Amino acid sequence: MGLILNLTNNLGEQVVRLTMSKLRMNVKAAPIIGAALGALLISACVVGVGQAEDLPEGFAKGDLSPAPPAEMIEAGKRVYFTKCVWCHGVDGAGDGPGADRLWPRPRNFNQGTFKIRHTASGELPLFNYNEKNPDSGKNDLLDTVTHGLPGSAMPPWEGILTEEQRIQVLSFVTTQLVKDRKFTDKESESQTILQLGTIKPVEATEESIKKGAQLIVDKKCIECHGVEGRGDGNAFNLKDDWGFSIQPADWHKCWNFRGSRQDPYNVRNIFRTFSTGVNGTPMPSFADSTSVEDRWSIANFVNSLCERDAEGKPLSIDPLTDKPKINFVVPSAPVEGEISNDPENEMWKKQGRRYVAMGGQITHKPRNFVNRIDDIWVRSLYNDKDVVYLIQWDDRTKSVAEGKLPWAPTQVNVENFGVKEQAPKTGEEGSIAAAQNNYAVYNDGIAFQFPIKWQEIPAPFKPRYLFGDVKFNADILKWESDGSLRSFRGTGWDQDFEERDDFEEKVKLLKAEWKNGQWTVMISRPLKGDKDDYDEYTRFDIGKYIPMVFFAWDGHNGDAGRKMAVSAFYYTILQPPIPQEVYIYPAVIAVGVVLLEGWMLTRRANKKKGKVL
Amino acid sequence: MKALMSVVALIGVLGLLMLIGMIFGVIPSNTIRLVEGYMPMQVLSELAIFVAGFAGLSYLANSMGVAFPRFWQGVLFWVFIQTYLKFRIYPPIPFSVRAMYGTVSFVAVFMWVSANEEDWKKFRQPILNVLDANTGFHKALRTMYLILLPLLIGGFSFMTMKPSIDEPIELRTVHPAPPASTKVHGKTYTLQTSQNPYRVNLEGKYDQDYSNKLIVEQGMGRLMAPNANPWDDKAEGYLKYVREGGEIFFQNCHFCHGDNLNGRGLHAFAFNPIPANFTDPGTIAQLQETFIFWRVAKGGIGLPNEGFPWASVMPPWEQHLTTDEIWKVILFEYWHTGYYPRTWD
Repeated sequence: MGLILNLTNNLGEQVVRLTMSKLRMNVKAAPIIGAALGALLISACVVGVGQAEDLPEGFAKGDLSPAPPAEMIEAGKRVYFTKCVWCHGVDGAGDGPGADRLWPRPRNFNQGTFKIRHTASGELPLFNYNEKNPDSGKNDLLDTVTHGLPGSAMPPWEGILTEEQRIQVLSFVTTQLVKDRKFTDKESESQTILQLGTIKPVEATEESIKKGAQLIVDKKCIECHGVEGRGDGNAFNLKDDWGFSIQPADWHKCWNFRGSRQDPYNVRNIFRTFSTGVNGTPMPSFADSTSVEDRWSIANFVNSLCERDAEGKPLSIDPLTDKPKINFVVPSAPVEGEISNDPENEMWKKQGRRYVAMGGQITHKPRNFVNRIDDIWVRSLYNDKDVVYLIQWDDRTKSVAEGKLPWAPTQVNVENFGVKEQAPKTGEEGSIAAAQNNYAVYNDGIAFQFPIKWQEIPAPFKPRYLFGDVKFNADILKWESDGSLRSFRGTGWDQDFEERDDFEEKVKLLKAEWKNGQWTVMISRPLKGDKDDYDEYTRFDIGKYIPMVFFAWDGHNGDAGRKMAVSAFYYTILQPPIPQEVYIYPAVIAVGVVLLEGWMLTRRANKKKGKVL
Repeated sequence: MKALMSVVALIGVLGLLMLIGMIFGVIPSNTIRLVEGYMPMQVLSELAIFVAGFAGLSYLANSMGVAFPRFWQGVLFWVFIQTYLKFRIYPPIPFSVRAMYGTVSFVAVFMWVSANEEDWKKFRQPILNVLDANTGFHKALRTMYLILLPLLIGGFSFMTMKPSIDEPIELRTVHPAPPASTKVHGKTYTLQTSQNPYRVNLEGKYDQDYSNKLIVEQGMGRLMAPNANPWDDKAEGYLKYVREGGEIFFQNCHFCHGDNLNGRGLHAFAFNPIPANFTDPGTIAQLQETFIFWRVAKGGIGLPNEGFPWASVMPPWEQHLTTDEIWKVILFEYWHTGYYPRTWD
């Protein structure tokens, strides 16, 4: 008690915060003592501490920043109309020409609603034109422009605009395009700032992560983000402040977190978002209801879910794309005997998985501008008869078309059946905005293709990535969520598939399961057809690079036909056992070096003795 | 002098520790990020700091009487350059290019250690000492080398011979030779003589000098020229077409080529070959407008084989856009990057 009194005498905010946190813990432990302390503190406030008693733990009151000077705003206008207007629109209403085909949509600045902040829920973000360094924790909007918003079309502007130019354009946006609120209005605005720089993080111990795992259940996080955090909870009923449907974050892809600031595995970013909420979305701030320690536990747990490599280390992120680095080789390891259909089996766990990046198919109509499947994880094993691919990917919804699809499985051109790309403007019927979460549901699906006669195609020639071409046909295996696994021959992007019935008995679906927002599909196919003749099917030769392309469909995104996700060319290779020469030749070389050494030493010795050789 | 040199040496040591820390993952590798746009200068100044740091270290060691043998200075510096190139530069430099840098830096180091007779003697003395093995220490050293060298070379050749599953390297021609003419929407365009119908002055005449004055300014940011805002209500002619081209770009092209035309669009991360970076002086700045017209209209599938038509996801835009829209997009791309299209003369 004496301590608290002493501290409250000192009116520095920092100290009051400290007292507050102590106090809160006490309140939890013993309500009566808490009430007494509360009364004490309130009496202290009367002396002049301000509204400290309202502040959530970890926050401190801040001052509004000064208004930027007029010439800065004017300079910012020039930046805005060169770079930003194309998506954010002339009036900053998020309705530029780019907006119609973007999801998530560009920000509408007019309401002053900004997602990633250090300020309390509902408040304006931090913006101070004097604070020119990004990542200071004092300039949220500068950080957003500097690092972009991963997972959206907002790119990082670092290296493109100078810091000065970034501040200028923000001066313009905050004063001219934010229309309903004023960054400098002391009457209506306040800044309650998360003290992220001074709060000590709780280490991500097993205990803390375990606590976080329990807390996300208690705090009902899983209602939206799903039991395993793949964003599959309440994915279809969520709308933002403007009535556009949005989807909860997938915690397994931290590089897509809007607030990841190009540092996705940094737990502080998660702590910040959890503490301040995401304005304009159903994601609230949990600062009022959750202690700082619990917030760290939750952040640690969420961070622990993000995909990692086999050793549990963060994936290395490609600084050019802010996504995991890509290796274009999908190796297949040899195993003896049967290949297990259980992904948890030791043989599968031993085989490393590969990240395969997926983009929207935007080459031919109908183009897929809003791509919902942006990566898949692939593993492969082979034995003397078959090669098996285990493919796992996050999909918030299990989609199975009701009834029979109006087109045949071989049909590629399905535009006449309502699978169209979105042309209309936002607000009109058939626009992306109107169609989101509102599509006719088709089947989820996954497919991959190989060149049929790759042995005869000199590298680097390949059949075209999109279902091959007339000259070089593609061997396509396609699985759909209605349980079908079909084998096709592809002869071009606009050519319907040719079905190959005899092969279908030999390809096997070992597993197809959707669980908590993730598909696990395991497909087995023979290494070769019946005869050695490979006119029909790809023949797999050990140790050779065989080009491979992946395709994926999200039925709830209206994906069907060419409206899908597609990968670049990858290579699959059946890893050969190590041949004997690999052991012999290096030994021979080593012996050669020994001889050479002997020769050199003799020569040197002779030279010293004065002999001439 | 000494104080200055100690500071310089300290910086060198700190830099080295940081580099090693980043290589082994002790320090996050993005501690000092290489930023596109600043990168060449960043790399040069970093190397300069390192060299200064090493000079400082060597000076200090000398003045403290523990001179570092010239032989090891040379060897270690060469190793440092190789390490820096391999682990610091991003995107990674292919081995063949690193080998070239390695040779050049080897020659440079060799020239440095053999600049005069005295230096050269200093350099080769340690080698001769070990060869002759006159002292017990050198004898031990010689024995060690005699055993280690065959093992290392044998091990190295084992590693190279072991079947690897690295990505095969395939070289693609980014700007293949264009055809003489191209047929788009039923009309034939001769690449040598066709002109962008929207690159016009206020009288409606083709006028590249006029449009060149209205493009964005070069330099950081590439901002629009003063009083040349395509979004101005009063903008007409060329500037109005630029805006219309931008609208098409931001509904069709930015998904791959990016909001800043630098090839970093929303879907770009998934594709290989990566989308062209128009802000790079090696792309549209080097090409005629009609070449771009051909590439845009025919897309990846229309490339000759050296351009890898099977792998490019560039749409044949004649399937999506009208001829006018294609010309306007091209107009916008030059405006936004601040480059002049190359002309035939």
